[in-house]
Amino acid sequence: MDILHNLAFGFEHALTYQNLMFCAIGCVVGTLVGLLPGLGPLATISLLLPLTFSIPTTGALIMLAGIYYGAQYGDSVSAITMKIPHASSIVACIDGYQMTLKGKTGLALFTAGVSSFIGGTVAIVVLAALAPALGEVALLFGPADYTALMLFGFVCVSFVTTGSLLDGLAMCMVGVLLGQIGTDINSGMQRYTMGLSILVDGVGLISVALGCFGIAEITKNLDNREERTPFSGKIHLIPTWPEFKRIIPSALRGSAVGSFLGILPGGGPVIAQFAAYAIDRKVSKYKDEIGHGAIEGVAGQAAADEAAARTSFIPLMSIGIPENAVMALMMGAFIIKGIQPGPNMIASHPDLFWGLVASMWIGNCFLLILNVPMVRYLLSIFKIPYAVLFPSILFFCCIGTYSVNSNLDDVFITASFGLAGYIFLRLSLDPAPLMLGFILGPMLEENFRRSLLLSRGSFDIFVKRPISGTLLGLIALFVIWQLWVFLRSTRRKGPEPKPRASAA
Amino acid sequence: MNDRNLLKGLWLALIALVFGLGSLNYPVGRLERAGPGFFPLLVSCILMLLAVSMIVRSRFTEKVPVVFNYKNLAVILASLAAFALVSRWVNMTLGIVVLVFVSSIAASTHSWKRNFAVAAVLLGIAFVFVKGLGLQLPLY
Repeated sequence: MDILHNLAFGFEHALTYQNLMFCAIGCVVGTLVGLLPGLGPLATISLLLPLTFSIPTTGALIMLAGIYYGAQYGDSVSAITMKIPHASSIVACIDGYQMTLKGKTGLALFTAGVSSFIGGTVAIVVLAALAPALGEVALLFGPADYTALMLFGFVCVSFVTTGSLLDGLAMCMVGVLLGQIGTDINSGMQRYTMGLSILVDGVGLISVALGCFGIAEITKNLDNREERTPFSGKIHLIPTWPEFKRIIPSALRGSAVGSFLGILPGGGPVIAQFAAYAIDRKVSKYKDEIGHGAIEGVAGQAAADEAAARTSFIPLMSIGIPENAVMALMMGAFIIKGIQPGPNMIASHPDLFWGLVASMWIGNCFLLILNVPMVRYLLSIFKIPYAVLFPSILFFCCIGTYSVNSNLDDVFITASFGLAGYIFLRLSLDPAPLMLGFILGPMLEENFRRSLLLSRGSFDIFVKRPISGTLLGLIALFVIWQLWVFLRSTRRKGPEPKPRASAA
Repeated sequence: MNDRNLLKGLWLALIALVFGLGSLNYPVGRLERAGPGFFPLLVSCILMLLAVSMIVRSRFTEKVPVVFNYKNLAVILASLAAFALVSRWVNMTLGIVVLVFVSSIAASTHSWKRNFAVAAVLLGIAFVFVKGLGLQLPLY
């Protein structure tokens, strides 16, 4: 009954007035920003991250977590009502929007809210049970194993988020190289600083994130110049009992799928919702209706989305390796707050860990009682024309960048990443793996150099250790499989564009 | 030449080249005690390899043209630079006003009144950040 004891301890920390308030603010603001087209969880977190600097550590992390799942809910709301897809809500566009066309918007929103709640609750039980145990496994990891694990993460993320191993890996490597800017920890030598004093401590996380996800996205949206008509239909939130009963089984299935996929490297909400949707189409009692606006098509994926978002915290908090770009950003936030996520985090900051876990459940309740009924007011954000919105987002980018070091030079760094990010977006290179590479780069170098030091310069160490050997073997298999797929597609049908996964 | 797949490879190759050549300025060291130049050189080589295989792959795939809107990009970057410079020379209040006015050039409709209203609201938010959240902004 350790878990219950620990959770009770966590609730003690999460249920202070202050932390409750941070949680509520995070959920609402996250939902609001997440609603906006083009601003997914990554952009939302990086925009709001600087505002948490002056808040106490536990409160800041609770608020950030709230922003994260708030943004996810906001994404699915804009997907259901207006068919605006974000990375984390592509599936919600299918059945959710079909339900809106049938005039059942309220039911879809309610289903998404309740399913998220169920998914989140299941995931938190998994999180509370698994994270401490996995933390003990992580203590067995040596530097070579960490190196292999990070490379494995790169390969998985590249494949899942961009659909192309080559593009994603290249972006990871660009991120790693950007992480090299600054002072080398081992020798104290300054690398790639070009003599600029602002680069001595490296490029700021906020500058990279705001440049690539904030400014680049705004510029891209300006190019498209679509005017969105705000949603104006009626919203009846309360479902009938038979409708409500249909939510439960799908949501439970989605929770299980999401919790599992959220833990795997490269996993997370995007892949979880596709998997949950696919499973519901196979096994649901109403599988014929799915695709034409069925409750199950919304419930399963919403639960999986939310569950995966929660369980993706497990590798970060127990092993110390983020498994996707959002978690990489979260890790950056932890480090800015002076906390190193990893096997020792749970032992050294139990109040923080269990407080965060408990606050996730509280945040779930807030989503349900606060955001679901307020949806129709939140949707009024779409009445703001883009001409007003984008200068405001730029303002938040500037204020955020400035307030990290109180240095105006950082704004220029952010602007240059905006330029680079725009080029990446236009060349259809997804900047999400770049973020992961940027955060993991210094850790990768550290562990790589330490492994070689231990083995006296021999690369054997990566193959001989069972954990790293297995992981590297998996990577090799994956690369060979991808090469084979590519060769076969070019040989059989001649030159043709490579099919891209719709998850991109 | 206007082929997204080819340009993608060339752009990444350029990044690899810049970082790879840069890493030659730092001692590489030996394998058992790698110097500061070793890891960036290794990663640049991997990136170069990936970029070259992208360039090769682009020969086998259909060409996709790239849309590149220089005007919007230039306006947004200019507004950021103007914000930073004006905030340093005068103060951030004027910087925010300049940011709103310069960036609105990229909007589809133009209105002085709207710009003033947006700037006023944003200034209000900045003021709340300073007083409420304790951010240090040189507003005046």
